Amino acid sequence: MKITMNRTDKQLTASIEGSIDTVTSPDLEKQLTESWDDITDLILDFSKVDYISSAGLRFMITASRHMEDVDGQMTIRHVNDDVKEVFDMTGFDQLLNIE
Amino acid sequence: MLIEIKHLAKSFGGIPVLKDVCAVIEKGEIISIIGPSGTGKSTFLRCLNLLEYPDSGEIIVENRNVLASNTDIPKLRMKMGMVFQQFNLFPHLTTVENITLAPRRLLKKSAAEAKEQAMTLLETVGLSGKANSLPQELSGGQQQRVAIARTLAMNPEIILFDEPTSALDPTMVNEVLSVIRNLAKTGITMLIVTHEMRFARDLSTRVFYMDEGIVYEEGPAKELFDHPSRPKTRAFLRRIDMLNFVLNREEFDLYHFRGQVETFAEKQLMEAKPRKMLHLVLEELIENILFPHTETFTLEIGISEETKSTEICAKWSGDMTNPLQSIDEQGDMARTILAKRCSPIVFGVNELSQAELKLNLPGAVSRGQNGP
Repeated sequence: MKITMNRTDKQLTASIEGSIDTVTSPDLEKQLTESWDDITDLILDFSKVDYISSAGLRFMITASRHMEDVDGQMTIRHVNDDVKEVFDMTGFDQLLNIE
Repeated sequence: MLIEIKHLAKSFGGIPVLKDVCAVIEKGEIISIIGPSGTGKSTFLRCLNLLEYPDSGEIIVENRNVLASNTDIPKLRMKMGMVFQQFNLFPHLTTVENITLAPRRLLKKSAAEAKEQAMTLLETVGLSGKANSLPQELSGGQQQRVAIARTLAMNPEIILFDEPTSALDPTMVNEVLSVIRNLAKTGITMLIVTHEMRFARDLSTRVFYMDEGIVYEEGPAKELFDHPSRPKTRAFLRRIDMLNFVLNREEFDLYHFRGQVETFAEKQLMEAKPRKMLHLVLEELIENILFPHTETFTLEIGISEETKSTEICAKWSGDMTNPLQSIDEQGDMARTILAKRCSPIVFGVNELSQAELKLNLPGAVSRGQNGP
C-alpha cells in the first residue's frame, strides 16, 4: 500500500493505492494520525484502492470519529465497485460519508 | 484406429511401473494422460516411441506391431514426435539450427528448404523474431515453443507431450498451452501427459487417468472430470481441487498465504471478483475469527464439484466453542462479512473430537468456461 498526502491549510487529501488489510491498515493509521493535527477536512481518495477488509474498515470508523471530535468531516471518494460492496455489506455506507 | 496398445508392461529394477496398459487411440484424437506422480504416465509415452522398451505387450501403429524385431525405430520416431519437459534443445545451436537439424539429416531436406519450413514454424509458435537466438537467450516458455516447432519440423503424425509445462515458471505456462491449443485445431493426433487439469478438460477428446500401472479410467474429458466413476479417479480429482494448510498464529504470513490461494484460484479459473471475495472471507476468518480463538488450525479450501462453490473447512483441537458466537468487537465485522457472503456456515465437533467450522462461499467457479 502506498499513501500520497497533500495538505492545504486545514484540508488533508490522502490518496491510497493498493490493499487496506490486516497488514497495511496499521501503517495507514500511523501515517494519517501523524498528519491530521489541525485538519478539519479529511479526504480519502480510494480511486486506487482495490481491496479493503474489516481491519481497514475499523480504521475508517476511528478516523471518522476523530474528525467528528474536532468538528470536522471525513469524505471517502472514488470507491470502486469491489470496495463499495464491502462498505455496503457491513453497513458502513450508512456510517461514512462516501462520494 | 491409429494406435492400439495391448497389455503393455514395463518394470524398473523389478518394480512394475506399467502392469497391463491397454488403450486404443484414433487418428486426430487429443488424449490427456493424468494421474498421480509415479504411476507410469511418462513411461507409457516413452514406451510408445521406444525410448523405453516394454517388457511385454503389443504396440500396434497403423496395423504394424512396433515391438517386432524388424521395426525401423528411427522411422517410427519420425512418425511420433516427442516434446519433453526439459526442452532438450542443443545449447550451442541457434533456434533455427535446432529446428532444421533433424529435417536436414533425417529427411534429407536442403538447407534452404529446411530453413524456410523452420521460419514458417517459428511464426506458428510466435517466435519468428528469435530465429538467430541461442537457447540461453530465450525464456523457458520460448524454449519449449522452439522444441514444439522442432518436433513439427519432422511432420509427425502423432505428437507425444511429456509434461510440457512442468519445468516452466507459472507465468510461462499459458504461452506453451496456447501453442498446443492451436496445434489441436490442425487435427494432429496428440497424447499429452499433463498436470494442467483445466487444459486437459478443455482441450482433450478423451482423458486417460493412470493409476496402479494401468489406464484405470478413461473417457471423454467432460465426463471423466465431472462424473468420474471409479474411487481413485474421484479421490485424485478431488485432491487437485483442494488446498491444505496448517496455520499457526505466530508464523502466519497473510501475503504468502494469499499468494498460494491466488495461484489455486487462477488454476480453478476463478474470475477476479469471486477471487477477491475469497481473499476477503479468508482474511476475516483467519485473522479475526480463528486466530483470536485458537493458536493453530488446519484449513482446507476446495471447489465443490456439485455446487461449483468454494468450500472452506477449518479444524482445531482445544477450545470446542463456536468462534462465530464469541462477543468481541474485532470479530463483529468479520462475522457480518462471513454471514453476508457464506451460506451455509456449519460448526460442529467431528469424529476425531476436533472443532470443525465449514463455510460455503457460493459463485466461485463457472465450470466449463474456456481455459487460460
